[in-house]
Amino acid sequence: MTPYLQATGVEVSFGGLKALNDCSFTIQQGRITCLVGPNGAGKTTIFNVITGFLRPGTGSVSFKGQALDGWKPQAIVAAGIARTFQNLRLFIDLTAVDNVLASLPGQVGEEPVAAIFRPFHVGSAQRRRREEARAILDRVGLSARANDFVRNLSYGEQKLLIIARVLATGAELLLLDEPASGLSAGALEGVMTLLRRLQDDGKTLLVVEHNTRVVQKIADDVLFLHQGHLMAQGSPETIVNDPALAEIYFGGAL
Amino acid sequence: MDFWLSYLTLASIYVLLGLSTNLLVGIAGIFSVSQAAVFGVGAYIVAYFLMNDVMSFLPALAIAAVCCIALNILVTLPALRVSGDYFVVTSFGIQLLATAVFTNWTDGTGGANGLPGIPPPDLFGKALEDSSSETMLCVGGMVLGCLIFWLVMRAPFGRLLRAIREDELAVAAAGKSVLRAKVSAAALAGAFAGTAGGLYATFLSFIDPSSFDLDSSILLLTMVVVGGARTLAGSIIGPFLLLALPQILTLVDIPTTIAAAARQLIYGVLLIAFMLFRPQGLAGEKL
Amino acid sequence: MLALQLLCNGIVTGCALGIVAISFSFVYSTTKIFHVAHAGVYTMGGYIAWSMLEHGFPAPVAFLVAVAACTALGALIQTGLYARLEQRRATHLVVLIASLGALAVIQNILASVYSANILQFNLPWGSKVFTVVGDVRLTVTQLLTVVCSLAAYGAVMWFSHGTILGKQIRAVASNPFLAEITRLRPRRVHVYVMAIASALVCVPGVLVPLDFGLQPYNGITPLLTATIAMIAGGVGSITGAFVLAIVIAELQNMSLLFIPGEWSIGITFFIFVIFMLFRPTGLFAAAR
Repeated sequence: MTPYLQATGVEVSFGGLKALNDCSFTIQQGRITCLVGPNGAGKTTIFNVITGFLRPGTGSVSFKGQALDGWKPQAIVAAGIARTFQNLRLFIDLTAVDNVLASLPGQVGEEPVAAIFRPFHVGSAQRRRREEARAILDRVGLSARANDFVRNLSYGEQKLLIIARVLATGAELLLLDEPASGLSAGALEGVMTLLRRLQDDGKTLLVVEHNTRVVQKIADDVLFLHQGHLMAQGSPETIVNDPALAEIYFGGAL
Repeated sequence: MDFWLSYLTLASIYVLLGLSTNLLVGIAGIFSVSQAAVFGVGAYIVAYFLMNDVMSFLPALAIAAVCCIALNILVTLPALRVSGDYFVVTSFGIQLLATAVFTNWTDGTGGANGLPGIPPPDLFGKALEDSSSETMLCVGGMVLGCLIFWLVMRAPFGRLLRAIREDELAVAAAGKSVLRAKVSAAALAGAFAGTAGGLYATFLSFIDPSSFDLDSSILLLTMVVVGGARTLAGSIIGPFLLLALPQILTLVDIPTTIAAAARQLIYGVLLIAFMLFRPQGLAGEKL
Repeated sequence: MLALQLLCNGIVTGCALGIVAISFSFVYSTTKIFHVAHAGVYTMGGYIAWSMLEHGFPAPVAFLVAVAACTALGALIQTGLYARLEQRRATHLVVLIASLGALAVIQNILASVYSANILQFNLPWGSKVFTVVGDVRLTVTQLLTVVCSLAAYGAVMWFSHGTILGKQIRAVASNPFLAEITRLRPRRVHVYVMAIASALVCVPGVLVPLDFGLQPYNGITPLLTATIAMIAGGVGSITGAFVLAIVIAELQNMSLLFIPGEWSIGITFFIFVIFMLFRPTGLFAAAR
């Protein structure tokens, strides 16, 4: 059986510094995999490589048996992998619903020709897509704020919106960069429930997460990255309880 | 010809150019000092077809628009593909090269003497001989241009362009092609500039290289900067205001020998002042 | 023989262009601003010198006053425009447009004061002709251009590698953030850079018009050619910019054998396109 997502011997270096060093792992479909490791371990770099924002020096990533080497980010989204950014990168001068709409694929009138020559068709198509976008906002619990500008949303709401935006791409594998960081206890609970629900809806999740309690609660598998290399892989219990890994992660503070 | 009629006609043509420059500079975010070159190519193409009786006005205008679309894509591609500020060089280079062609290719463009006697435009076999119907044509062109700009900006394409302006990386992560959107904007800008060129040539019935030089490109940039980037209102206000400027200057007692320099000097001051104190222009969004 | 004469002319123009390229590159690699208004500074230098000579000042005095004026103008553009825009977190596009505005202002002030017509220098000694070999002749001005340009090139090399300020500037250029936290004060360094670059560009700004005359809008083509030399030579490389300026000037001059002079902008641009296609990082990119 071909693995769902597979990275093989990926190497990325910036100048002389190796951000990823012979990094290999696989991810299984339908599961929530957490990517953990100390700062600078290469977690975000992995995201950049998988989503085509960064070309690895050597090694490759394949998705459902298909090599993604040299693919552009938009082609990778179309293939079914979408990501979020740690610093969100929402379009703050657009409304919440427009942020979601900006990620919906295959819209009529997304190039000038249709926009000019079929304005009424574009208009009616837009009304339908707007309903679709509202439904997605509803799914993350933001339907009440659909027409608010992003800059007026709270940080917690922005973190939900970023999940709505990645959902809108229609991708089946979602790479979430710290979806739970900086949240209050209540909001944290909400995000964790949401991630579980996404899993139930058939999505596969790869999540960068620092909070070990969150990891223990949501992860099916854990990948432990250290100095750009996969140190260990296993269930959350085995990883969190491994004293050698804790030593690396917390520098012995635990 | 009546002053107000000719002011309205010229302003209509420059609104089309303002829309064009706004699409390229304001919306796609590409610095350009070669829009006048594209404008000129449109003007010379239409002039050539009409003077040699090859075809009537509308098909000539369509061909000019298509050529200018191609030219604008060619001019902007380096800006989008090549890193660094090299596109600034490309833009200046295209403009200087175009001026060299307009001035020195005497057989095709009449050289520095220009092309006199361009026939008036015709619509469906009827020549528009009198000035008021020519004005109607140009105003019609402006209205159509504004309508197109409005349609495009309210469609998903417009939202995509706004999103690109905020964060290109996030747009790519959403699965959209930034390059394709910018090239589309540039193509549309080319169509506007080409059409404006055709209208300009037939309205004045005379063209020469001085209308399509670097100074004209700077004027177009000033129009967008003063009016305001990325909005329809900005693209209309800028041209109407700046075309009134030469008339205002005639009220002040400036020797005719330095009138052109004084005008350009004001454009320069406006560019600096708006960039420093009001980068969103009078009715636009922040550049 | 014509070819040899063109070759010599090419070296003369190339040396002058080389200084324009070095000075532009100096600004660009340090401040990251594509300083279009540099063409205006270049043009102003010649006009100041011309005015001084018309008022009967001796040539060296005229030259030094022109250099001083350009230095002041450069520092003014930095403090009055670029630094303010940086404070307001202006985007790159905004800075470029402002720089273009500054260029338009300088050029048109000159055009208003001196008219847009061509002005010739009235220096009898300048057009005295030397025979180099056979029929190849160079004027005093041309020889002076080569000598001064080479001296300026040497001075820049010594300055950026042999002095503390030069090293600081190179540090700011290579890593502005690091320079900031090590208290090199990039802001002040940027003012120095603009002042020095403007003084430098005044050298060809005065010498080239001695032969070709002055026109207010004549700065753009040399600047464009110089930026192409900078890019082709590899941004950040002083020698690269200087050498490539000479190469481009030679190609322009030799092309006169086959193509009329009014198309030389086409030749220059063609060289740029070739470089963009085959070696966009420039020839001397590694030799920082």
